[in-house]
Amino acid sequence: MRRIAVTGMGVVSPLGHSAQAAFAAARAGRSAIHCLNVPFAHRLASPLGATAAFDGADHFDAPRLRMLDRVSQFALVAARQALAGVDAAAVDGQRAGVFMGTGMGGIGSIDDGYQTLYGQDSDRIKPFTVLMGMHNAPAAWIGIEQGWRGPNLTFSTACSSSAVAIGEAWARLARGEIDIALAGGTEAPLCFGSLKAWEALRTVAAIDPADPSASCKPFSSNRSGMVLGEGAAMLVLEPWDRALARGATIHGELAGYGLFTDAGHITRPSAEGQAAALRAALQSAGMAADEVDAVNAHGTGTPANDGIETAAIKAVFGARAGRIPVSATKALHGHLLGAASALECVLSLMAMQHAVALPTMHLAQADPQCDLDYVPNAAREGVPIRAMLSSSFAFGGTNAVLALRAAD
Amino acid sequence: MPATPAATFDRLCALLMKDYKLDAGQLTPDAPLDALGIDSLGVADLLFNIEDEFGISLGAEPVQLLTVGDVARFIDEQVAAQQHPAGTAGNTQAGGPPGPASSAVT
Repeated sequence: MRRIAVTGMGVVSPLGHSAQAAFAAARAGRSAIHCLNVPFAHRLASPLGATAAFDGADHFDAPRLRMLDRVSQFALVAARQALAGVDAAAVDGQRAGVFMGTGMGGIGSIDDGYQTLYGQDSDRIKPFTVLMGMHNAPAAWIGIEQGWRGPNLTFSTACSSSAVAIGEAWARLARGEIDIALAGGTEAPLCFGSLKAWEALRTVAAIDPADPSASCKPFSSNRSGMVLGEGAAMLVLEPWDRALARGATIHGELAGYGLFTDAGHITRPSAEGQAAALRAALQSAGMAADEVDAVNAHGTGTPANDGIETAAIKAVFGARAGRIPVSATKALHGHLLGAASALECVLSLMAMQHAVALPTMHLAQADPQCDLDYVPNAAREGVPIRAMLSSSFAFGGTNAVLALRAAD
Repeated sequence: MPATPAATFDRLCALLMKDYKLDAGQLTPDAPLDALGIDSLGVADLLFNIEDEFGISLGAEPVQLLTVGDVARFIDEQVAAQQHPAGTAGNTQAGGPPGPASSAVT
């Protein structure tokens, strides 16, 4: 198995449109969650979201833009950013793959189409609705734009989609099947139909009346749910020796990837399943539990997840669990669903580079079930982090964990 | 006043400038659509917008349109056919200006 380096990172997110900007906001504990200023806000019980300040017209000409759902726009821009340090002419397109995660694909375009059909009672659905709505559009457009002809694959495992995409890219690279990959996730779920559907599932946070931006409160006893966010994060992955040979900047090592499927309840998390995924990642990376210096938690801020996740971390790390910084950045950027793992992977790589344990914000009330070191409410500087796990646990039960090492 | 090819062409150009952000200077009758970023798939989307703009209904059958001028001529044919069906197509003498307000969609 070849060792795999991360040599590029691209981010479009509520926290900013680069890895550096998103990391700076996370480090400062600046939340991007806010009350949505949309015409349908009055029909939402809790009109919260984390929007990306993004206008596709800044990035695409008008004829192309007409074919791109917001979910593809995010992915294309994040991919361009990630590739900034790659000489396109030196890439063998036949050995280059795109691995994308998305939970809801072009849901905004589907929502528009339904609005036309059912809301307006009109049959004039837009001709591009299929190609804008299909889940594989973001990956396909990247392949087209870059001329990459290797595997072009889209993974949809709800909230772990982009961890799976990154992990599956890692596996193909490590086995020598391809030489470079763009891997990550994208999501644009802030349309009316999607927001209502998440609301109906009773997973969405209530608005904090004192400060709406603090409404998502992972690991706090007064947590009430998640907040949807939008954006994309993409990594460039390539074999370590090839990265060195071309003088690439190495942001860190993708050391392994663990998967474990609950095969239990469709939404309810399982501590056993999460712990098994954490252990699988360690085994995949040849990493001892004692080596792990920090964990990026799934940390959604839902009543169900955070206690279970705490139990899983304790099961894997034993007595040392309480001394490992565990960060839940979804308090700041919201839950990007299929893009969440990729964004959190980028933040974790940046945290290792800067020796920072990122804060879990809005953690005001201790929960007896959640008694680990969550780095509450302020970043911790000067924390050497050589190895990290980044967790994503999904509806459907596909638990995926990425194992990361510092670049040194 | 009957529709003239020039009026159709101008309205088409206005639509292309608004929806596709194209410059007037690019929009000559013989300008290839492909060079303007509108390939054969894009034509499907363009025709959808033309239906709204010109108040006509276009069938689903494929149609080969390569230039801006081709599209303008196609619109004129369709407007004439839909305002004056069954053999009187092309007679613009009795026709009002095409458009949503005088839509003759049958």
